[in-house]
Amino acid sequence: MDTKFTRQEAMAIATGRELRDGELAIFGVGLSMLAGYFAQENHAPALRSFTEGGVFGARPVGGLPWGIECTRISSNATSFSGAIDALGCLVASGRCDVGIIGAAQVDKFGNVNTTGIWANGVPDASFPPPKTRLNGSGGANDIACGCKRFIIMAAHEKKRFVERVDYISSPGFLDGKGSRERYGFIGNGPSAIVTTLGILRPNPQTCEFEISGWFSFSSPEEIRENTGWEIRLSADAQQIPDPTESELEALRRVDITGALRKS
Amino acid sequence: MSIRSAITQNKLITLSEAVREHTHDGQQIATNGLPVGAEPVAFARELLRQKRKNLHIVSTCASSGLNLLCGAGAVSKMEGGFSGLEVFGFANGIRRAVESGQAAWEDYSNLAMPLRYLAGALNLPFFPANVCIGSDIRNRSAFGGNTNGNEKIPLLADPFTGKKVGALSPLKPDLAVIYVPFADAAGNAIILGSEWTSVELSRAAKKLIIIADNIVDKACIRQYPNLVRIPAELVTAVVWHPFAAWPNSSPGLYDSDEAHVRELNAALKTEAGTQEYLEKFVVPAETPQSLRKLIGEEKIAVLTATPSAFLADPYRKWILPEEETEKLLNARKTSIEIK
Repeated sequence: MDTKFTRQEAMAIATGRELRDGELAIFGVGLSMLAGYFAQENHAPALRSFTEGGVFGARPVGGLPWGIECTRISSNATSFSGAIDALGCLVASGRCDVGIIGAAQVDKFGNVNTTGIWANGVPDASFPPPKTRLNGSGGANDIACGCKRFIIMAAHEKKRFVERVDYISSPGFLDGKGSRERYGFIGNGPSAIVTTLGILRPNPQTCEFEISGWFSFSSPEEIRENTGWEIRLSADAQQIPDPTESELEALRRVDITGALRKS
Repeated sequence: MSIRSAITQNKLITLSEAVREHTHDGQQIATNGLPVGAEPVAFARELLRQKRKNLHIVSTCASSGLNLLCGAGAVSKMEGGFSGLEVFGFANGIRRAVESGQAAWEDYSNLAMPLRYLAGALNLPFFPANVCIGSDIRNRSAFGGNTNGNEKIPLLADPFTGKKVGALSPLKPDLAVIYVPFADAAGNAIILGSEWTSVELSRAAKKLIIIADNIVDKACIRQYPNLVRIPAELVTAVVWHPFAAWPNSSPGLYDSDEAHVRELNAALKTEAGTQEYLEKFVVPAETPQSLRKLIGEEKIAVLTATPSAFLADPYRKWILPEEETEKLLNARKTSIEIK
């Protein structure tokens, strides 16, 4: 088989490797869902998953689901419940092991903005309309507060990897070490940012994100050039192993419409 | 069943009657549904045909209906958890309205919204939350603060442990419009797929309109009472409207009309495109029959060949044929005229 892969596929597989067999996991739509179902297909058959729509036990049918409750994710479910159940009883409660969320902007402490971009940041005294309206938090804020850990997926571009996000839609480590404790969050915060160039992980002393790994097609230099803060290389940083043939086969069984091969 | 109870248990009205009798400019209206999911898009089209303005829309997740209303300039306030169209991208109508300042979007999370409905439903002063605190959702308000000059989500001390919790304000929408695949003429409603936030919303709203793709015989309701999550006792009126969620999908009934979701969203990018869309797909979609014609039988055959169709099988034998549903609708009209 063709062993070549796209950056999107490398990112999905790197994210999937973060999920462990037997865990309880919540996925969103799109990339994160493909990464999650890849893990289930490849190395974590006992991963228990649900969507924030309250769809349990389902696998996508007929292509990438349009949304978190659409017909493509509702054709082999074992339970349908709702938002208070999925995001409340299972996530905000602290029961869920891991969640995957996306980010339009992410900063050095792993705070995520999916709400809006303002021309010069948001002024303190007023709250004008954003220059660019994004989608809002959805369930990501609930996942960031409640899941034992969460993984952020983002395209690695300088405008997205900023010193401080315009708006915190979903809390990472806020102002750094000890900040989450001020709010008593039951979740422990973001464990990794998986990007199109590599993997960033928080420094245990400062909670600032550092380069933990790069792909065979990228480098620590390329990550630095595309990051808006002075990013450090962690002591044990290394190249991320390429997707294996069997990993690619598993991912492509899940990504049947080739959504990750288009770019 | 006596004739009297047969009449009082029939709440069927037409879509245009529902909007004429139960909505007004400036009203707070809540709708159900997940992004590009099963939601009452048909109701949004009728609000536009009757030229409702300055609407305050409450929705856990916005979708095609709110995108359309926003693009057409009918909305001034919105509150919800998510304003996007999932894999279809950003909602252009909502973006244009929010970025221009024409409409304000108040952000919450997808869990905060149903907790606010639940607080409204239980008549609680607020709901304590361990989400939305510590983020800008807590203190940034597009509505300029909350009621009585309070913060949007004030921080309180848990009286038992002293830990911080956020106080979510309760919601009791003036009107809720909830789409379901099956209901009887009294409004006993069956949901297929995720219930999402419909159950809490149905209890929180001051008035509730059910829009159902299919009207079923009462025997269906009696067969599956566990699955009737919205009982008729809560329902003000029932509208029968096949393909009411189109172009979104409805689990068990039809898939998403992908091409049309994209066409609609592309049109909403500009005012001119929106006007053209309204003339082509909103103005002529006055009745269930005319909407069906607009979608076209060929496309309907494709959309209804959904892999989820088996979910609807247990209920199919109780679906009333169109003539019988129309007869019930007319019987109600006649009974009102007699009174």
